[in-house]
Amino acid sequence: MPSAVQETAVEERAASAEPRPGSPMLRYLTLAMTALLLLGIGWTAATLYAGRTPGETSAEAGFARDMSRHHAQAVEMAMVAYAKGQDPAVRQIGYDIALTQQAQIGHMQRWLQEWDLLPTGSRPAMEWMPDGVTVDANGLMPGMATREEIASLHEAQGAEVDRLFLDLMIKHHIGGVHMADGVLDASDRPEVVRMAQSMKQGQQKEINELRKLQQGVG
Amino acid sequence: MSISTPGGPQRRPTVVSTGKKPAAGRPAADTKAASTKPATPKRAGGGGKGPRKPITPVKVSQGRSWGPIALFVAVGVLATSIIGYGAWAAIRGAQTWEEKAAQIEGIVNFRETDPEAISNSEHRSGKQEYAQSPPVGGPHNNTWQRCLGDVYDAPIAAEHALHSMEHGAIWLTYRPDLPAADVEKLADVVRGNDFMMMSPYEGLDKPVSIQAWGYQLKVDNADDPRIKEFATTLAQNATVEPGATCSAGNYTTGTGTEPRDLQPSMGG
Repeated sequence: MPSAVQETAVEERAASAEPRPGSPMLRYLTLAMTALLLLGIGWTAATLYAGRTPGETSAEAGFARDMSRHHAQAVEMAMVAYAKGQDPAVRQIGYDIALTQQAQIGHMQRWLQEWDLLPTGSRPAMEWMPDGVTVDANGLMPGMATREEIASLHEAQGAEVDRLFLDLMIKHHIGGVHMADGVLDASDRPEVVRMAQSMKQGQQKEINELRKLQQGVG
Repeated sequence: MSISTPGGPQRRPTVVSTGKKPAAGRPAADTKAASTKPATPKRAGGGGKGPRKPITPVKVSQGRSWGPIALFVAVGVLATSIIGYGAWAAIRGAQTWEEKAAQIEGIVNFRETDPEAISNSEHRSGKQEYAQSPPVGGPHNNTWQRCLGDVYDAPIAAEHALHSMEHGAIWLTYRPDLPAADVEKLADVVRGNDFMMMSPYEGLDKPVSIQAWGYQLKVDNADDPRIKEFATTLAQNATVEPGATCSAGNYTTGTGTEPRDLQPSMGG
């Protein structure tokens, strides 16, 4: 039920008809509240946008987790090459790849900590990739060696180590470049873009080096 | 309310629309109210020509105050949400993996309850004695068990498994007589995930036990969601050697509970 006060206010207004403000106070208050509301919405949106970190199902989180595991296998293979390769150039590139990729794993794990995410994702590996590459039952991502291939690399001796390593590592890097491309398509987060670009360039360059070594050792 | 209010036909719409639109800035409601009114038949309650004034005020005043009320409510809701979200984010966002782990019902944190039991982490060869079964810390073999989502179908040496746990692995163990369908459910948690491994374990006092360095959870059922919660929360996080690997280096993939003293084959 309307109060007497309101009625009076309106009555006055009805009398003065067209010039709108029957009660200027209310009008200004309304305008002020509208302004406040818009400001509030704007501020909230801006804050949420600026402060947002990649979420559990984001491409960035998927990349950090999956590329860590992808890198871990490269480290393993490169360490074998470093320890047992016959060609000194193979040992040298093994050393380079192992140290670089292990350090990059550290970077990516640190992102996950900063984003308040666990190292282990709740979604299937590679689900974040824009082109929908899937993994097999053993979780092998593009370019990854099978368990059997890893076992043969461990067992290999002499020139066979070089041959196997170069073959597996080239495939591994091609897969890695593909994943880096995937996150570059999906993300504009500076630290992720920067890392993915350097991975892509570094691994493309190394693919060329590995191919040159392949020519040398057959 | 304003829609159902009886009123005179013509004059009211004019007043309402001119007064309300600029004031409240909510044209939708106004239009509705205004357009509905002409259709409303004039009621007896409205009285004759004289009482016109009293009727008009009733409607206009009601319609008018809705705008500000809605605004106040909107501002109030917005302010509450901002504060609420901030508080939620502050509490939630600050949650460490330790806090998440502490929330898993039934988890035992030996780092707090029995730090002595896990204080010794030296490398020893041969079989070791442990206070817990399966062990959650203590001296262990120089070689670690590969923990790259490995699903071992036979018991493994705790001396190797402990070294993996020191590197951040979780070790999911189950009674050897667990039905194959249940074993498969457990394997789904582990397979494909770095810093996880599983194997059967003789003499468990519960069907399933999952452990990390200093942490353990025993459950009766392979369906228990706490298994996955433990695995994803503690894998890699529970490491006492951050950065150490599961997949590269001097690991073993062999089974059998007798520890094997492998020569550190460089790179292998």
